[in-house]
Amino acid sequence: MARKALPGIALITTSLILAGCSGSSSTPATSASGSTAGFQSQHKGGTLKLLAKSAAGSLDPQVNYTLQYWQLYQAMYDGLMAFKKVDGQASFTPVPDLAEAAPQVSDGGKTYVFKLRQGIKFSTGAALTTDDVVASFERIFKVSSPTAGTFYNGIVGADACLTKPATCSLAKGVVGDATAGTVTIHLTAPDSEFLYKLAVPHASILPKGSPAKDAGTTPLPTTGPYMVASYDPNRELKMVRNPNFSEWSHDAEPQAYPDEIDESFGLTVEAEVTAVQNGQADWVFDPPPADRLNELGTTYASQVHVNPLTAFWYLALNTNLAPFNNEAARQAISWAVDRAAVVRLYGGTNLAQPACTILPPGLPGHVDSCAYTAGGGATWSAPDLAKAKQLVQQSGTAGQEVGVVVQDDTVNKAMGEYLQSVLNEIGYQATLKPLSADIQFTYIQNTKNKVQLSLTSWYQDYPAASDFINVLLSCASFHPGSDSSINISGFCDKGIDGQIQQALTLARTDPQAADKLWGQIDQAIMAKAPVVPLINPKLVDFTSKRVGNYQFSKQFYMLVSQLWVQ
Amino acid sequence: MSAGPWRIAAGHLARNRAAMAGVAVFVVIALACLAAPLYAEHVAHTDPFRSNVSGTTVVDGRTVQVLAPSSTGLGLGVTPIGPTWDPGHYFLGADNQGRDVLARLLYGGRNSLFIGLISALLCCLIATAVGVLAGYAGGPVDALLSRTLDVVWSIPVYLLAICLSVILLTSGLRLGPITISAGSLWVPILIIAVVYVPYVARPVRGQVVALRNRDYIQAAIGTGASDVRVMRRDVLPNILPTAIVFVPIMMALDMLTESALSFLSVGVQPPDASWGTIINDGLGLLYTRPAVTIAPGLCIAATAVALNVLGDGVRDALDPGAR
Amino acid sequence: MLLFAVRRLASAVLVLFAISVLVFLIFFATPGVDPAARIAGRNADPATLAQVRHSFGLDRPIPIRYALMMRHLFISRDLESFVNRGAKVIPQIVQATPVTLSLVLGAAVIWVLFAVLMGTVAAWRRGTVADPLIMLAGVVGISLPVYWLGEVVNLITQSRLHGSVFSWVPPLGYVSLTDDPGQWALHLLFPWLTLAVLYAGIYARLLRSELVANLNEDYVRTARAKGISERRILIRHALRCSLIPIVSLFGLDFGALVGGAALLTEVVFGLPGVGKLTYDALQTVDLPMIMATVIYAAFFVVLANAVVDVLYARLDPRARHA
Repeated sequence: MARKALPGIALITTSLILAGCSGSSSTPATSASGSTAGFQSQHKGGTLKLLAKSAAGSLDPQVNYTLQYWQLYQAMYDGLMAFKKVDGQASFTPVPDLAEAAPQVSDGGKTYVFKLRQGIKFSTGAALTTDDVVASFERIFKVSSPTAGTFYNGIVGADACLTKPATCSLAKGVVGDATAGTVTIHLTAPDSEFLYKLAVPHASILPKGSPAKDAGTTPLPTTGPYMVASYDPNRELKMVRNPNFSEWSHDAEPQAYPDEIDESFGLTVEAEVTAVQNGQADWVFDPPPADRLNELGTTYASQVHVNPLTAFWYLALNTNLAPFNNEAARQAISWAVDRAAVVRLYGGTNLAQPACTILPPGLPGHVDSCAYTAGGGATWSAPDLAKAKQLVQQSGTAGQEVGVVVQDDTVNKAMGEYLQSVLNEIGYQATLKPLSADIQFTYIQNTKNKVQLSLTSWYQDYPAASDFINVLLSCASFHPGSDSSINISGFCDKGIDGQIQQALTLARTDPQAADKLWGQIDQAIMAKAPVVPLINPKLVDFTSKRVGNYQFSKQFYMLVSQLWVQ
Repeated sequence: MSAGPWRIAAGHLARNRAAMAGVAVFVVIALACLAAPLYAEHVAHTDPFRSNVSGTTVVDGRTVQVLAPSSTGLGLGVTPIGPTWDPGHYFLGADNQGRDVLARLLYGGRNSLFIGLISALLCCLIATAVGVLAGYAGGPVDALLSRTLDVVWSIPVYLLAICLSVILLTSGLRLGPITISAGSLWVPILIIAVVYVPYVARPVRGQVVALRNRDYIQAAIGTGASDVRVMRRDVLPNILPTAIVFVPIMMALDMLTESALSFLSVGVQPPDASWGTIINDGLGLLYTRPAVTIAPGLCIAATAVALNVLGDGVRDALDPGAR
Repeated sequence: MLLFAVRRLASAVLVLFAISVLVFLIFFATPGVDPAARIAGRNADPATLAQVRHSFGLDRPIPIRYALMMRHLFISRDLESFVNRGAKVIPQIVQATPVTLSLVLGAAVIWVLFAVLMGTVAAWRRGTVADPLIMLAGVVGISLPVYWLGEVVNLITQSRLHGSVFSWVPPLGYVSLTDDPGQWALHLLFPWLTLAVLYAGIYARLLRSELVANLNEDYVRTARAKGISERRILIRHALRCSLIPIVSLFGLDFGALVGGAALLTEVVFGLPGVGKLTYDALQTVDLPMIMATVIYAAFFVVLANAVVDVLYARLDPRARHA
C-alpha cells in the first residue's frame, strides 16, 4: 500500500528514520490497558493535538491513498467491513462494520450478501441505506479511485466503469434490497482477498449524492465517531465528534476518547519533536530526525513506542537492461550489499532489521530463509564481497556503468551513496541520481527512463502475501512505457506467474496451503534476484507525556481515537 | 586602455594592504584545497568518497566504531564519531557515511572554488558579449536582448536557479553537440552563470550606450571603420575594467549561490562534495555533530570575505574616483 | 510621462507573459514530472491512469494546457494543486503573503537602521580605525551564507543554549500578528536578524561610498566654507543626497524579497511564507503552485522595477528616453 504513496507522504517513507525497539506495543501490558477493559469514561474528553510536516492531499476517503489520512479515517469512515481496531496481531482480522455480520458467500465465492446494521446515521443526520452502499461502490469508479482497477475490478460491471467512469453503473454487480436491508455483490471470479479490500478506506460508504468527482478539501459526511469540521492543507485538519454516532461494534468502530482531534501542518520535523517534548503537542506523524533519536530513546524513552511494520525497503534491479538482465550480475548485488550497513543508515538495529525475503516477517506466508548471506543460514549475517566480485567477473558485466536512482532525503540519499560505493567496489562504475521523493517513485517505474537500479520500499495495503508478490513481481504489474508500472524490475517469469495464479486460486479453498506456496514462490523469486530486500523498517511513535492508552494496529498504526489526553 | 593604465592599477592594488590580505587568505585556502589528495592519502589515509558505514578507528588507544549505534535507553539512532582533533584521522569527525569530514572539506573546497571561478568568468563573458552587442547594435537587437534580460532579472535568483536545477538534475542537458549529464558539475556552473548575467550585462550595456554617443566613436564610425573594428578597438577596452571589477565579487556571490543550491540538494550531486553539500549532510547531524555543518560554513565565509575585500581593492585600483 | 508609464506597463506585462511560458515549458519538457501517475496513486491500473490524465486535461496539446492553466489562474482564479487535490493555489498564496511581509518588513527596518548607522559612522570616522572595522563587519555580513547562519542560530537558540541564555526563544514557526503580537515578534526575531545581516552589509557599504563621494562635492565644500559644522553637513546635506540611490535599491530588493527571495530564511526557520510555499512546490514539482508563485514573485520584481523607473523618470526627464 501506499503507506506513502502520494507526494505529501513520501516524506514518510523517506524519513522513516525511526522505528524502534522490538515490538514494544504488542507487550501484554499495553493491550490489557486498552481493549479488554472496555470504555473508561473518566478519560473521555480533551483535544488531541497531532503534528505533521505537511498535509496529505485530498480528504476524499475514496481518493486519498496515504497512510497519514488512512490512519485518521479509521475514526471517521466505515465500510461494510473493517480491520479490527485493537492492538497487535488481531488488528489484521477483518470484522463486520456497517454490515451486521460476516457476509454469506455463495456461488463458489462469487456472490457476497451483506445485511446492513439498522439505525446507523451519517454525520448529517441522514440514515444509512442500501442506496448509499450501491452509490459508494459506483463512486469508486466515478472518482477514478487509485485502486479502482486493481482492488475492485472484479465486481461485475467494473470493466465498463473503468473505461467510462462518468456513466458508471454497477446494476448487476452491487445490488441493494432496501426492504430486506441487504446488499449483494457479484464478482466475475472468486477473490480470497475481497473482504480485506472492503475494509480499506477506498470502500468507505458515503451518502448517495456525494459529488461524482474528487471532493478535494471539502469534507464528506462520516459514519464514525468523528467528522471533519475544517480542512486547510496549509494549516490544520480539525476533527470533532460526530453527534449522530453511537457505538455499534467495539471491534469495528469503538467509541472515541478525545472530544476533538487536530492535525496541524507546516512545522519542521525538528520543531515538531520539540513541541511534543515541551507538551505543546501530543504526537508527531513524521519520523523523528536522526540526530534526535538518541535523545528520544533515553530522556523520553517512556513516551516512545516502537513497532515493526510489515514492509520492506528493497533495490529493484531492471531485469530488461544491462547489466542486470544477467542473473549472475543480479545475484552479485544480493551478495554484496551489507544489510547491517543499511540498517545503520536507517537508525540502528532497534529501528530496522536486515531483510532476506520479499514477504516481511509477520505477514502470512513469510518463512525465514536467506539465499544470500555469508556462511549460509536462515537469517542474514554478513555480505560476501568475494563471491559478489567473482559473479560480476563471471557475468562479463564488470566495468559497466550503473545508474542508481534514489530519493533525495537524508536517509535514502545516504543509502544511495553507500550503494554507489559498494557497486564501485565489486567492479561497476556507479553514478548516483537523487531525485525529489515525489518524482522518484514514478520515474523509476517508467521503462522510458532506463533506470538500472533503484531504491524503493513497499508497505502493505492489507495482510496478504499477494499484496507483495503478485503486486510487485507479476507479469500483469509490468506496463512498459507507463509511469504506473509497479513491477519496477520488469520481472516476468512465466513459471513463477503460473505459481502465483495457483496460489491465488488455492487461497480461496485452503489459505494455509496457499500461504505455504507463497513462501515457496518467495524463495523461487529470490533465486532469480530481480529485487534485493534490504531491511524491514520499524515505526517510532513519539507521544506527549499526558497521552495514555497507546494501541498499535498493525494495519493502520496507532489508534488515534483510543488515546487518552486526560 | 593601453598597458599604462593597467600597470598603474596593478600598482594601486599591490599597495592596498587589505586587498593583499584578501589575496593571501584566498591563496592559502585554494592551496589547502588543491592539496586535498595529499592530505587524504598521506596524512589521514582515507578515501573520502568511499562509505565506511561499518568501519572502526582507534581513539586514545581504544577501538571505536566510526558510526556508533546508541547503546543507552531504547538504543535508537546512530551517531558518527566526533572531532578527534588529531590530523591523522577524523580531525573534524565523520559524516553519516563514516567518511572523514576534513578530507571531504578539502575536496569540497576544490569544487566550490572551481564552480565559483568558472561561473564568474563565464557570467562576465556572456554578460559582456550581451551588453556590448545590445548597447552597440541598438534597435531591435537591443530590444530583444534587453527584454530577455528583463525576464531573467524578474525571477528572484534563487527561485530561477532552483527551478532550472530541478529540471536539469532530472533530465540533464543537451545543447547541440554538447551533452551535460545530470550529475555533472557543469549543471550548477551553467545555471549560476546564467542567472547573474543581467546583473553584469545591464551596467555594461549602459556604458556602451554612453560610449557610442561619444564623439570619437561616432567619428570612427563616420570614417567607415567596420563595426567589429570599432568594437574591438574602441568599445571593448573601455568596457573591460567594468567587467573585471565584477569578477571577484561575482565569484564570491557564485560560491554563496552554489552552496545554497547544494544546501537545498539541487547543486553539486553526491558523491561529489562541495562546501554546500557538506553543510547539507551535516544538517541531519546538527544537534549531535555540529562541526560537520559549522566547518564548511566558516570556509565559505572566509573565502567570500577574502574575495569581496579583493573585489573592493580591484574596483578602487581601476576606478580611483570611487574611493 | 503618461506614455512612458504605459510603455513601461506594457513591457512589464510582456515580461510576465514570457516568464509564464518559460516556466510552463521547462516543466513540461522534463521527463519524470508528468503528474498523472502521482495523482492517480500507487499502482493505479492503466485505465485509471488514463482517466486521471483526461480529467486533469493532461492529454491535451501543450498550448491548450497552457491556456487552460492561465484561465484557471487569472480568470476563474480556481487553479488547483496537483499534489493536494482540491487545494486552491491562490488562497494559499494569499495566506502565505502576510508571513513573508512580516519577515521582510521587520528585517528591512533592522537592516536600514543598522546600515544608516554603520555607513554614517564609517564615513564620519574616515581615516580612523573605526572605518575599516565597520566596513569589514559589512563584508562579513555579505559573505555569510544566510541559510548556514540561520542553522547556526537555530543550533544555539533552540538547542545548545536553549536551557540557559535562550530559554525564552519560542519553537520555530509562525504566530500571526493578529493572534498574539508579542509571540509574533518573538517568533520572528531571529529570522529578522538573520535576514538583516546580509542587507545591512550591502547597504552600509553602499551608503558609505555614496557619502564619501558626496562629501567631495562642491556644495559640501561651500557649506564647509560657510562654517557649518561637519556633523551637520554629514547629516543634513550629504546623507540626504546619498539616500536617493539607496532608496531605489531598497525598492528593488524589497520587491524581490516579498516575491520569495527570502526563501532560504523561510525554509530554515520554518516560516510558512511564499518562499517556503515555492520551495515545497518545487520539491513536489507541483506545477500549478510553481507557476502561481513564480508569477507572483515576478510580479513584485517587475512592479518594483517599474515603480523605481517611473520615479526616476519623474526626477530626471532624460531617463525617459534612455
